[in-house]
Amino acid sequence: MSKKGMSRRGFLATALLSGTAGGATLFGPWKHTRVYAAKSDKPIRIGLTHDASGQFANSGQAEKRGTIMAIEEANAAGGVLGRKVEYLWMDTETNPQTGTRVAERLISRENVHFLVGAIQSGTANAISQVAQKYGCIYFNTNSSSPTESGKNCHRVKFVWDGNGENFSRAAARNAISAFGDKWFLMYNDYVWGQNTNAATKKVASGYGAEVIDEVAIPVGTRDWSSVLLKIQQAKPDVVAAAVGGDDFKVMRQQVSDMNLDQKPAWINNQQDWPDVYGLGADAAFGVFGTTWYHYLDLPGVGDFVKRYQAAYPETRINVPGNVTYNGYVAMRELLRVIEEVGGTDNIKIIKALEGRTMAAAGRMQHHDAVIDPNSHHVQQTIYLATGNTQPRDDSDYFKILSWSDPESIRASADDTCSLESYDATPSYDQG
Amino acid sequence: MLYDLIPHLINGVALGLLFALLALGFMLIIGVMEVINLAHGALFTLGAYIALAVMAPDGGLPFAFMEPYYALPAVPRYVIALIVGPAVVAVVGMGLELCLRRTYGGDPLYGLLLTFGAALVLEETIREIWGSSEYYLPIPRGISGGFIFGDLIYSTYRIYAALFAAAMIGVLWLFLNKTPYGAVIKAGAHDSEMVRALGYNLKRLRLYVFAFGAALAGIAGIVMAPIWGIRPVVGVDAVIPAFVVIVLGGVGSFWGAVSAGILVGLVVGLTGAFLTDWSLLSMYLLLLAVVTFRTRGLAGKASVLEA
Repeated sequence: MSKKGMSRRGFLATALLSGTAGGATLFGPWKHTRVYAAKSDKPIRIGLTHDASGQFANSGQAEKRGTIMAIEEANAAGGVLGRKVEYLWMDTETNPQTGTRVAERLISRENVHFLVGAIQSGTANAISQVAQKYGCIYFNTNSSSPTESGKNCHRVKFVWDGNGENFSRAAARNAISAFGDKWFLMYNDYVWGQNTNAATKKVASGYGAEVIDEVAIPVGTRDWSSVLLKIQQAKPDVVAAAVGGDDFKVMRQQVSDMNLDQKPAWINNQQDWPDVYGLGADAAFGVFGTTWYHYLDLPGVGDFVKRYQAAYPETRINVPGNVTYNGYVAMRELLRVIEEVGGTDNIKIIKALEGRTMAAAGRMQHHDAVIDPNSHHVQQTIYLATGNTQPRDDSDYFKILSWSDPESIRASADDTCSLESYDATPSYDQG
Repeated sequence: MLYDLIPHLINGVALGLLFALLALGFMLIIGVMEVINLAHGALFTLGAYIALAVMAPDGGLPFAFMEPYYALPAVPRYVIALIVGPAVVAVVGMGLELCLRRTYGGDPLYGLLLTFGAALVLEETIREIWGSSEYYLPIPRGISGGFIFGDLIYSTYRIYAALFAAAMIGVLWLFLNKTPYGAVIKAGAHDSEMVRALGYNLKRLRLYVFAFGAALAGIAGIVMAPIWGIRPVVGVDAVIPAFVVIVLGGVGSFWGAVSAGILVGLVVGLTGAFLTDWSLLSMYLLLLAVVTFRTRGLAGKASVLEA
């Protein structure tokens, strides 16, 4: 009787070979790849990660208006590579856990080509970790912690706002000579506040300031009276505050209520337009940095404001501010680079962005901006501003005091960045 | 050292009176209704927004017929805000109480869930009407700005707010202890069935108490608005300290709540000055310390929630 079929020895050999091959496929050295098509006519999908709730809800919606405006303008001009640009927005809730969940969903289930949007550094960091895992390019539009382009930098992440160290460098030297060298530092006790405060301390001390006290303020603080009394007892020349979001609004209100907004001098690092708008020029107290203002005397600014007003006639904030501006120019640059590269391949786009120079005229700033190839941080003009005592209209809250070229205020924290290699960054192209 | 401490002690007491004001409406509703009203924060927020609409032209009532009204001086508009705000919130509170009726006698969790849901609905409604932007409640010039206090500047409004809170505490105490209505409310808190047996309409009593508690939340919202600002989520900042004050003072205890409010204010104020990064945590540590040794809080009576 002939025995048909496989012998036990043959079966074991085949199983061993199959297992080895399968194991190599599953566990062997491989690179995560999400490449669906080389060329496509399907829409380019952009995942928008803007906050609509939590501490930075208002700012999140402001940057959303900027990113969507850039997308709508691109579509009105015929799209990008002849393809329509679509966006899918999800609320990141000013919450790192939500940021992680949203990024995972947008990449793995919604198959977006790119992620754009951030206000809070913790959330931006969470999103960028997911983005790096997949290789999806992520634009951090408005989070200004030095860590975002420092120790938490990633090959896929590009940081578009000036950071806390940029703003400190722009303000510190002038503040010491104008107001005095006794500085009182206070900061929100989370990653942005801690790192911005550390940068301010380093910069101010470097210019000869004496730090007489340094106070960490818990996020969510609603009563500032004790701290304001303490500041008065310490009698500083300058108070440098790295306080953001709703905490900043409440602090500003209580400072103003106690008539402390004139003396001592306040250096507020950065004041976002959505945190000030609607409250009058008095709300913009102290000296602070910004990347843009709607009354900059530069070509294109007035036209940009009109286009914004046409796009958002119902919005309470009826002139764009720095947050909307950052969202707009970041998105516009992304779409331009896709057009130039001729596709959505992540590595090609990353290489096109690294070291990219963006003309001052196009960005409506005083100096050309450049994307640092080593930290992916946009080095740009930083404006020093204060409250405007002679406003030309109801929206003219800021008085621009000076502006600094990108090189003079370059953040040293960027040197701590160590980008992943191209090989360690997964290929990502949704076609 | 003592000289440096005095302003912080005074500030702590002022802050404590504001915490007590936050908790009054919450306390009244828990005491009589045995309902933990998680919508307290949303009612607080609504009071602030209604006051804003009454005080400021950009506060959500851009009607032409309102223009002559907005031309009035700030003082009468502020007085009207202090009347209209709590009145509107009281009406909303009545609506909420009508919804709550089906939960009476059942698992307290249902009341908790219902008021939590109501808080979300109210917050989103506010967001729809006023948007998510920050607003500032204008106040009469006489109670704004700062005044010199030794070699320090202190907020005039904060002193006004603390005195207002003290007056509200006094008025509420007089109402509860010196009027027949207050006697019925207190009796209802201790034995509602007996109150009904004596011929009082328990449903109506609960409706009015809830409206009164809601109005107190609205008043607290108006008083705190110039200090905290006005945002749709500002009520969250109110409901948590209110809850801490109630538990710390002893659920249902009037003077327990007042003394707990002042204690919380002192602790938060002093840690804010000398251990700033512990200032938010300090009230919870205080709560933990007190309930470890006095489970029923400072006032020490059996809670209505224990029944």
